[in-house]
Amino acid sequence: MAMEELAAIKKLDFNMCMQCGKCTGSCPVSPKSKLNPRRFMLETAYLISPLTMHPPLNIQEKGELWDCTTCSTCSYRCPREVKPMDVLIGLRSLLVEAGNVPSTLGDALEGVYKYGNPWGLSRSKRQEWTQDLKVKYASEEEKIDLLYFVGCAASYDSRAQVVARAIVKNLNALSIDFSILGNKETCCGNEIISLGEKGLFEEIAGNNLALFDRYGVQKIVTTSPHCFHAFKSRYGRELAVKHYTQYFADLIDEEKIRFSGKIGKVVTYQDPCFLGKHNDIYDEPRKIIESIPGLRFEELGRSGKRSVCCEGGGGRMWYDIPGERLAEDRVREALDVGAEIIVVACPFCLLTFDDAIKTSGNEERIQVKDIMELVAETL
Amino acid sequence: MEIIVCVKHVPETAEAEIAIDSSGKGIKTEDLVFDINEWDDYAVEEAVLIKEKLGGRVTIVTVGSEDADKTLRKCLAKGADRAIRLTDKAFDGSDAYATAKILYGVIKDLPFDLILTGTQAGDDGYAQVGVILAGFLGIPHATMVKKIELMEGFTRVNRELEGGLEQVMEVGTPALLAVQTGINEPRYVSIMGIRKARQKELKVLGLNDLGLKEEEVGESGSWITVEEMFIPPVEKEAEILVGGLDAISSKIVETLRARGLI
Amino acid sequence: MTELFVLAEHRRGELRDVTFEMLTKGRELIARADVDLTAVLLGHNVKELAIRLADQVKKVLVVDDARLKDFNEVAYQKVLTHLISERKPVLILIGHTSFGIDLAPSLATKLNVPLATDCIDINFEEKKPIVVRQVYGGKVNIKASLRTSESYIVTLRPATIEAKEVKPIGGEIIEVASPLKEEPTTKRFIEYFEPPAGEVDITAADVLVSVGRGIKDADSMPIVEKLAEALGGAVACSRPIVDKGWLSADRQVGTSGKTVKPKLYLAVGISGAFQHVSGMKNSELVIAINRDAKAPIFRAADFGVVEDLFKVVPILTDRVLQEKKSSK
Ligand SMILES: Cc1cc2nc3c(=O)[nH]c(=O)nc-3n(C[C@H](O)[C@H](O)[C@H](O)COP(=O)(O)OP(=O)(O)OC[C@H]3O[C@@H](n4cnc5c(N)ncnc54)[C@H](O)[C@@H]3O)c2cc1C
Repeated sequence: MAMEELAAIKKLDFNMCMQCGKCTGSCPVSPKSKLNPRRFMLETAYLISPLTMHPPLNIQEKGELWDCTTCSTCSYRCPREVKPMDVLIGLRSLLVEAGNVPSTLGDALEGVYKYGNPWGLSRSKRQEWTQDLKVKYASEEEKIDLLYFVGCAASYDSRAQVVARAIVKNLNALSIDFSILGNKETCCGNEIISLGEKGLFEEIAGNNLALFDRYGVQKIVTTSPHCFHAFKSRYGRELAVKHYTQYFADLIDEEKIRFSGKIGKVVTYQDPCFLGKHNDIYDEPRKIIESIPGLRFEELGRSGKRSVCCEGGGGRMWYDIPGERLAEDRVREALDVGAEIIVVACPFCLLTFDDAIKTSGNEERIQVKDIMELVAETL
Repeated sequence: MEIIVCVKHVPETAEAEIAIDSSGKGIKTEDLVFDINEWDDYAVEEAVLIKEKLGGRVTIVTVGSEDADKTLRKCLAKGADRAIRLTDKAFDGSDAYATAKILYGVIKDLPFDLILTGTQAGDDGYAQVGVILAGFLGIPHATMVKKIELMEGFTRVNRELEGGLEQVMEVGTPALLAVQTGINEPRYVSIMGIRKARQKELKVLGLNDLGLKEEEVGESGSWITVEEMFIPPVEKEAEILVGGLDAISSKIVETLRARGLI
Repeated sequence: MTELFVLAEHRRGELRDVTFEMLTKGRELIARADVDLTAVLLGHNVKELAIRLADQVKKVLVVDDARLKDFNEVAYQKVLTHLISERKPVLILIGHTSFGIDLAPSLATKLNVPLATDCIDINFEEKKPIVVRQVYGGKVNIKASLRTSESYIVTLRPATIEAKEVKPIGGEIIEVASPLKEEPTTKRFIEYFEPPAGEVDITAADVLVSVGRGIKDADSMPIVEKLAEALGGAVACSRPIVDKGWLSADRQVGTSGKTVKPKLYLAVGISGAFQHVSGMKNSELVIAINRDAKAPIFRAADFGVVEDLFKVVPILTDRVLQEKKSSK
């Protein structure tokens, strides 16, 4: 093993691991993948211990590292506060630095580097979703008090664009002054760091911070929990950032939102990993949902802290593994509680559920909608 | 093994809007993203794979402005050992012939067992530089190469022909091989890797260093002069179906039924 | 009288289509000038090919030599250098094919004759050739002139000019002694290699659903497979799909793949690079799905859908299945 790899491994934190196996036991993808966090904790530890294991771990052969969705259940469940997810991401870095990356993930990384989005789509098309909407674009003339950070999925994916449009409509309906970065917006980098591409992440984070400074951004609200998490915890600077669920829950508390419509449906809610498990945000989305008139809210069998990942994170939007997607199982769970709408608060959940509803043949029975769509329908 | 790879830094245009610039002889490039020419990426990968197997040194050569350093650094990060950029005001307007002369200017004095290039560049698509360069150097070449086997004193290559057929040729070495896409799978290079590659040698040379005269390069040293650039006239335009996914699907199904295809 | 050479291209005993396309262009060019059109045929035991060419052109120069049996740039270059130096043709047309790409630049360098490659059109203006070429993947054209010279070499892109045959004219066949002295040693033809054929012959299918890089991911392939199945057709593809190893090479449509003429060609996430289009443009009905409204594929299609393929294809598949069920 190269010295650099060893040095990188030494920086990872797994000393407290007692091999209890809670991580693997709770990992949602381990049943269908070779991914075994507990084993990685053990085998990685051996690499820097005086004892050796036969055969020693050869990270470059461990393609299953790409299967992790970075849902963080393993870290969350660990009784000794070890963070297996961070170790897995650290090991991914070793694959990235060796150029040992599945081609679709390489394309996603290149796409972010060259075009500022993982789909490698043209920058000039980033703000096309705004079409006829009333939005203010960042300009040198005016400092931005509130920045709405749209994110890549909501900028480019036609289904997720509906959410961005709903957010803009909602903010406008409430006469809230905000701006967007338009074509200057660039990927937040959350998936990039999750894929272990540290250098690219640093570059993006630096550029984004410079952009925020240039426009005097005071507060940020995001569509995606992934962007929210990156800004909140991964940029190494304190930013006044809120996920839109927090922002709108506050507005409800302040009694600034008055609903005029009604949704006469049974709905359930999928906790996005990057709101729930990563950031303990469970109440705010529920507050918004439950304040919408007419609907009946049913919790999923496994919800809140026990919620199960949709399988859209950690780069898995660009990399698939064989077997049924977790979201399909969640669709059945939603049907079990009698839901007609699965409500989500993350563009990746939206897209994975949209797909899972189709592949499981349940289009007639259930829909997926973002909280902001429901709000837009009832404001 | 001493391997030289010639690469080009080109704008990516597959998804971009293209506009003609004010000279009428070029396109506006301000909003375009530049990267290594797709074919050259395969050539660099092939060189690095050979080096990883047999040892040796990979030298990257390009003709281009400072911006092309990005592509050179990427090649160095992929595993090349050193890079040379040839740049001079006098080189502007060079066609494939003049470009080959510029490359020849430096390569004639370098040691090599093998020279790799892409079969063509995605921007001007001449598919000439490699072969002309081989002609100047007096070495044999093969283009459209899909497979390379190195033997003692020669290389056995598969050349791609039309219709999915290949032609197996034996070419004496040193040789120049212009590779076709798909010959390998180019690796990802990390930003950290690109940063580290800054430590590797990157030399910049100009007209005088190469012992070339001004009239030998640029437009005056070229075979071809671009007189005019234009967006091609639309010969046939598809009828674009509109009205939402359902309406579009229905329209297609109707059309297929009318033609007895369903 | 000066001549215009057309280099006949042949492989495994058959003349390639590009030869007749070049002859068509050549005829058009000499109609306005005092120039003879001459086909140049290099090969071994090519009598039949020479006769076939003489039907279409007044003069056929034949060099018969065992070393010219299969295409070898070194041997071709030597013979052509000799012929061109002797006869000083004003223009040499060569196909922009795998053979032409290997040969033309080497010949031009040897003779120091200006060369324009991959041209889609050529005209003479004041005795100088003016060519039209496509650049930037077909999004832009250039008009270019060549440096003044006694002779010029131009390679023509295959399948851009429609070959027109004239009534057999029984032209003259002139045998020229081979100038080759020794066996070419720096380059040897070994054999043809046919990549193993898969189960499906896309050239025989009536309906092709052809998938391009827009599909992004190997795991998304089933969505096009389902559509092909619903339509009772086969799945074909553009080249990047083969490069990535997602489909075998025999599914590739285009200049380096197969030429197809199905009743329906449905292009999904294909930009329409000419190398692709030339392999499918004679399809009876072409429908293209691409989210870039400016993609060149729409110029080769009868109907276009400017949408995300991941949205359209599943819906279209359902609709087709419904239609089939209801018409039963
Ligand atoms: C000598 C030579 C021979 C060649 N031979 C062939 C050949 O035989 N056959 C061949 O095909 N190519 C061939 N090529 C390659 C050719 O030049 C092109 O690079 C190739 O055809 C491009 O393939 P593509 O259209 O699939 O990919 P791209 O050009 O990358 O196009 C992808 C398209 O998909 C669209 N798209 C992306 N995402 C979506 C979405 N979600 N929904 C809808 N649309 C989407 C994009 O807008 C884009 O237009 C050859 C090249 C050379 C030099």
